[in-house]
Amino acid sequence: MPPQNLLISFTFSFFSPIFQDGPQRKKRKSEAAEVDKQLDILAIGTAVGSILLYSTVKGELQSKLDGGHDNRINCVRWHQDNYCLYSCSEDKHIVEWNTQTCKVKCKWKGDNSSVSSLCISPDGKMLLSAGRTIKLWDLETKEVYRHFTGHATSVSSLMFTTVKPMNENKSFDGITGLYFLSGAIHDRLLSVWQIRSDRKEKNAVMSFTVTDEPTFIDLTVSEVKEEPVKLAVVCRDGQLHLFEHILNGYCKKPLTSNCTIQIATPGNDGDSTPKPVPILAAAFCTDKQSLLLVYGNTLQPIIERVSLNTSESHICLIRDVQKVLALKTDVAVTKVKTPVVNSDTKVLVPGIPGHSAAVKTPSSGKEKNKSKRKPGETEVSIEERLGALDIDVSKVKTPGGLPQTDSFAVLLVQGLESNDSDILNKVLNTRKETLIKNTVARMPIHAVIPLLQYLFNIISSASQMVRWLKCVFTLHASYLSTLPDLIPQLGMLYQLMESRVKTLQKLSRLNGRLFLLVTQVAASETVQDVTEVNQTAKLVYEDGKCCMLGVAQLLSSRDS
Amino acid sequence: MVAAAALRVVCCGGSPLHGARAVFSADARYLLCTSGDFVKVYSAATEELVRVLRGHGGLVTGVRLNPHNRLQLYSSSLDGSIKLWDFTDGILIKIFLWSDAFQLVSVKLTKTAGQDVEAKEFSVVLEGVDASPKCTAFGREGEYVASVKNFHLQVYFFKRKQLNRFSLRATNAKGGNNLFTCVACHPKEDCIATGHGDGKIRLWRNFYHNKEYVFSTLHWHHDRVMDLCFSIEGTSLLSGGVEAVLVQWHSGSDCKKDFLPRLGSAIEYISVSSDGTLYCTLHTDNRITIINSNLRFSKSIQGLIKARDVKTGLVVDPRTKALVLNGEPGHLQFYCLQSDKQLYSLDIVQQEYIQQAGLNQTDLVKVAFSAQGKWLATVEEREEEPDLELHLKLWFFDEETQSFKLNTQISMPHDDHITAMCFRDMDELEDDSLILVTAGKDCLFKVWVILEDTDPEGKHAQQSLSWSCDFVGSYHNYQATNCCFSEDGSLLAVSFEETVTVWDSSTWDLKCTFCHPPGKIRYVCFGRLTCSKYLIGATDHGFLCCWNLLSCALEWSAHLNVVVLQPDPLSEHIAAVSWLSKESSLFVFKPNEPRPICIQRNLCKEKIQFAAFVPRDVPETIGSEKYLWLRRSQLYFLTDTQELMTFSTKPPEERLTVSSKQLAVEESLPVTPFSLLLGKHRHQQSQGDIDLTKVVRNRHEQDSPAVKELLHTPAHVLPSASFLCPIFINSLLISKEKKSAEEVADEVEMESEDAEEDSDEEKDITEMEQENIKPMDLLGEITCKLSKAEEKELRKVRKMDYSWISAF
Repeated sequence: MPPQNLLISFTFSFFSPIFQDGPQRKKRKSEAAEVDKQLDILAIGTAVGSILLYSTVKGELQSKLDGGHDNRINCVRWHQDNYCLYSCSEDKHIVEWNTQTCKVKCKWKGDNSSVSSLCISPDGKMLLSAGRTIKLWDLETKEVYRHFTGHATSVSSLMFTTVKPMNENKSFDGITGLYFLSGAIHDRLLSVWQIRSDRKEKNAVMSFTVTDEPTFIDLTVSEVKEEPVKLAVVCRDGQLHLFEHILNGYCKKPLTSNCTIQIATPGNDGDSTPKPVPILAAAFCTDKQSLLLVYGNTLQPIIERVSLNTSESHICLIRDVQKVLALKTDVAVTKVKTPVVNSDTKVLVPGIPGHSAAVKTPSSGKEKNKSKRKPGETEVSIEERLGALDIDVSKVKTPGGLPQTDSFAVLLVQGLESNDSDILNKVLNTRKETLIKNTVARMPIHAVIPLLQYLFNIISSASQMVRWLKCVFTLHASYLSTLPDLIPQLGMLYQLMESRVKTLQKLSRLNGRLFLLVTQVAASETVQDVTEVNQTAKLVYEDGKCCMLGVAQLLSSRDS
Repeated sequence: MVAAAALRVVCCGGSPLHGARAVFSADARYLLCTSGDFVKVYSAATEELVRVLRGHGGLVTGVRLNPHNRLQLYSSSLDGSIKLWDFTDGILIKIFLWSDAFQLVSVKLTKTAGQDVEAKEFSVVLEGVDASPKCTAFGREGEYVASVKNFHLQVYFFKRKQLNRFSLRATNAKGGNNLFTCVACHPKEDCIATGHGDGKIRLWRNFYHNKEYVFSTLHWHHDRVMDLCFSIEGTSLLSGGVEAVLVQWHSGSDCKKDFLPRLGSAIEYISVSSDGTLYCTLHTDNRITIINSNLRFSKSIQGLIKARDVKTGLVVDPRTKALVLNGEPGHLQFYCLQSDKQLYSLDIVQQEYIQQAGLNQTDLVKVAFSAQGKWLATVEEREEEPDLELHLKLWFFDEETQSFKLNTQISMPHDDHITAMCFRDMDELEDDSLILVTAGKDCLFKVWVILEDTDPEGKHAQQSLSWSCDFVGSYHNYQATNCCFSEDGSLLAVSFEETVTVWDSSTWDLKCTFCHPPGKIRYVCFGRLTCSKYLIGATDHGFLCCWNLLSCALEWSAHLNVVVLQPDPLSEHIAAVSWLSKESSLFVFKPNEPRPICIQRNLCKEKIQFAAFVPRDVPETIGSEKYLWLRRSQLYFLTDTQELMTFSTKPPEERLTVSSKQLAVEESLPVTPFSLLLGKHRHQQSQGDIDLTKVVRNRHEQDSPAVKELLHTPAHVLPSASFLCPIFINSLLISKEKKSAEEVADEVEMESEDAEEDSDEEKDITEMEQENIKPMDLLGEITCKLSKAEEKELRKVRKMDYSWISAF
């Protein structure tokens, strides 16, 4: 289920009925299960004992069920097959409602104290209720079928975990052999009970332990014997515990969770400590492999689909709640989401290495990068070496005061060997054609390839290096052609030059247009200047300013 | 399962919603609009689809509320019938059959019993009217009808039986286009507003005389005015056009106007709810926008947005299982198949779209998701002769912020159009093995990989991932047309015009080539699971070939003009859609045998553009062997008209019930002092709605219960002031008593009905009704003197249920 969609449907649970008395508390929403998913009616119990039916499709209150209870409703359950509604209340009664006529169908006393929870059996013929004890009712006769005792505090949740008994050899009467789950207030243990034929259910069959009081429980019902029951329990401390267990018989020790899920903020900018984000509810998707998580604050919860991975025992999801919420509020109106575009994205344009690697050079770029990087990192620059030798650095540089070609060649080689950008810049920034030519000619042949690579690295920022390139190619073409690995060595440079040549035409066209525009603007400016001079000459009137203005406008309009 | 149900083609989205003007129900709670062959009822409060009225055999061309019973709806269709519905319960009450040439006529809808009635009595009102329903409108209280066509405006007065024609020159002095595009009539005054091709709106007055008419001009739109609509009281005029801006003109003057811009796409129709609180605009891209009367966005109902041209094909987002394709220009829409709603629309291009004809703007052409939905690759292009602007963008899904984040942007990845793009789909492996391949018309295919960037200078210690080119391949300078990875990712197939080349994805060596001359390769794909040794190709010369990769030989070939070839990601099955002599057929086959498993002929009338297999959440139980290929994933396809179709094996009733089976809960709203106060006024109001001529009796201000309650109810339980204000004001007004309609209203079926042509002309009032007006006026004077008791009696009669009559 898509997250955005659910956000809308979830807000229904915050619908507050209009009544004058007392703080209202919505106890439970329950949409009818499997068979009638298309039902759009939400039943809401109120603190005064009435039940409201709300249509989610129409977005309005459909009807109000009144006259059944006179105290707070604790739990509301839809029947799976017929559209009956069951409710229990503080007033110790359980009521069966006919929702078509909005009338009470049947009302009976459920317990000696308030009834806190209800659950209908998978075949729809039995009803579990929890008050002081857990009772199993026969829905036809409204008689107690079984008792279960064990919880010290009032039971907050009841749920059937199986639809069929695990051992198939016995005949199945619809209820015997089934397991159900119960959780209670202030209780960190969830108990599992089995309905047996021998009436010996004194204690819970097994129990699950969680870190805090459970607030929301969802489970996948296992249909096959081998398939484990998956249970998701959301606790009051905002953690989600996942259990996977095959139900068969007794287990004395409380089971601990297979996986715990927590959510926290990243906490990298501003406030440095990550803050936990409470999980509010969780539900299994129909494929039983993924989970819908509801988290954030209750006013604007975020719903996300997370695929299950129970191999890890503890998962912490990092979510930037602030940013996610900011996006969602926009979505509510226009549904347009703008993806994040930062300045730190890499932009590849033609000519930049990696945009279009050389033909038939498998992964050469990677290796070259590494080899290139190494000298820079490991080798010490000439300056540092000289410093280490305790020789005055300035002595080396002073001979370059008066430019001499031979010293330039030496300097260039030195700079290339030591990767010293100061020296190289000094040499390469020269513009004299002859000087460049002579330097390149005197340069030792092993320095040609390093020079080319250095030039390639800086050429995007310094365009005057083209002169150097030209000289190198004209003077050392014969050497370059003898190289066996010429293509990998100079492939990038070739790509760069090719892409530059390709864009040259467009650039010159743009240049031409801009030139035209600029000249026209300049020309029109000179024309305007001339007319202004004319106008001032024409306007020699002394009648008054308004008259003058009128005439001036007249004249200018005629001029134009 | 029961006996094998036949495979049916079901339309599941994208049917045009802008066929005719939408109508609000009387209480403005529902919005009724046409959608292909159906009428859809949406809730105006929740945007949810409440009901679908099915029954027409052709395109529905118009919907209208029954003026005598606001809970009934007339719909007209191209199948030559007018149907009367009870839209709250979805019951078809009556069908009026009709067949004749195209002209504006008035039809007397008779009151006879029985469901099927042939409408025989009719009279021609106007001949040669424009086919568009926008070009005809009814004037104040149905006294006249105005119709525009080309450069003429015709006004026909029913009572006087007089026809006035006004003409405009084709172009005006400034070269503007004077073509009439739409017409609307003022509800209270004698004023006709017409829209024109150059964006002008003319307000015509005094059109009773052929010569002495006058008109004033309003001009804001730069292109043709698409629709005009007066507000309920006629104080303001709404207009819309291709600019996607709703303009509200106040009191017919040029200077006072309000705007609601950025509505997304061109406005096709505008309608107003009967209480004037809501406006509704239908857009050309199948979107419905509900707008508050103070020009604030309220709701937006959008299913599958109609893009101008779907270039991306149908792609499934692995994360949300939504269908991804072109949406608004420059956006990518994520469409939820289950709920028939747009999840969201992702702004990829991030440039302001300018609504102007003849402007080449950037649009998306290719989209690909990596296997887990972690990476998204998009290609956008802008074609400006002679240059082409191309951008390849790689987006990373950031879990923290739950949104896509741009990682790498590559401009001009190819020198010509990109024809195909695919990720290497490998679930288990890490980012390092993720490979993207793009094929272009510049005769190259490029392989992009993720590199870990460390700054060469070492300024930034942190490493970042980015994409860069790894390999460039070409084959004899042929244009690369398709690319596809094998299931295990070890082989890459790239088709170069007539040849399919197979490359090893680890060394990028050319392994082998296949071809089936003559004919260029249109589609290529690998077999999956047990059939992974096969390579399937479809040529544009009408051959479907299957090559064996182990023996490098042609396994089989079939003569089939394949337009769409789509492999199922979860099974061996491959779906091929052929197009032969105006008929689409579907063939589902496994590559290891040349006999198709399933053949479905005559899928739909239109040509199929794209198809996609969408994995199901839960495998469906399918009885018939023949349709086992539908078990794990569902096949969706998109036609030329951008309708989304799918297959269903369920019998039609089962699908129908989904929306119609709603819990029939009796409406019993809570009875509290507050609701009593509310309910009483609501009751009064609704009565006033049904019986328009009835006005609340005049009382002294102090006696009026409304005022009493207003003064004596605690302030914190009072409804909003906007709700109380009209009640209060009503109580102060001295009302005129009129009860003319009482006599007429006691009949359930109206004696004269709004008529519709066989295509799409709407009529509110017919001549029949005109004749009735005089006697009714007379009656009004008599009924004035009716006592209270008699009045009650009458009301009771009116409320009685006569629907049983129609059952006979």
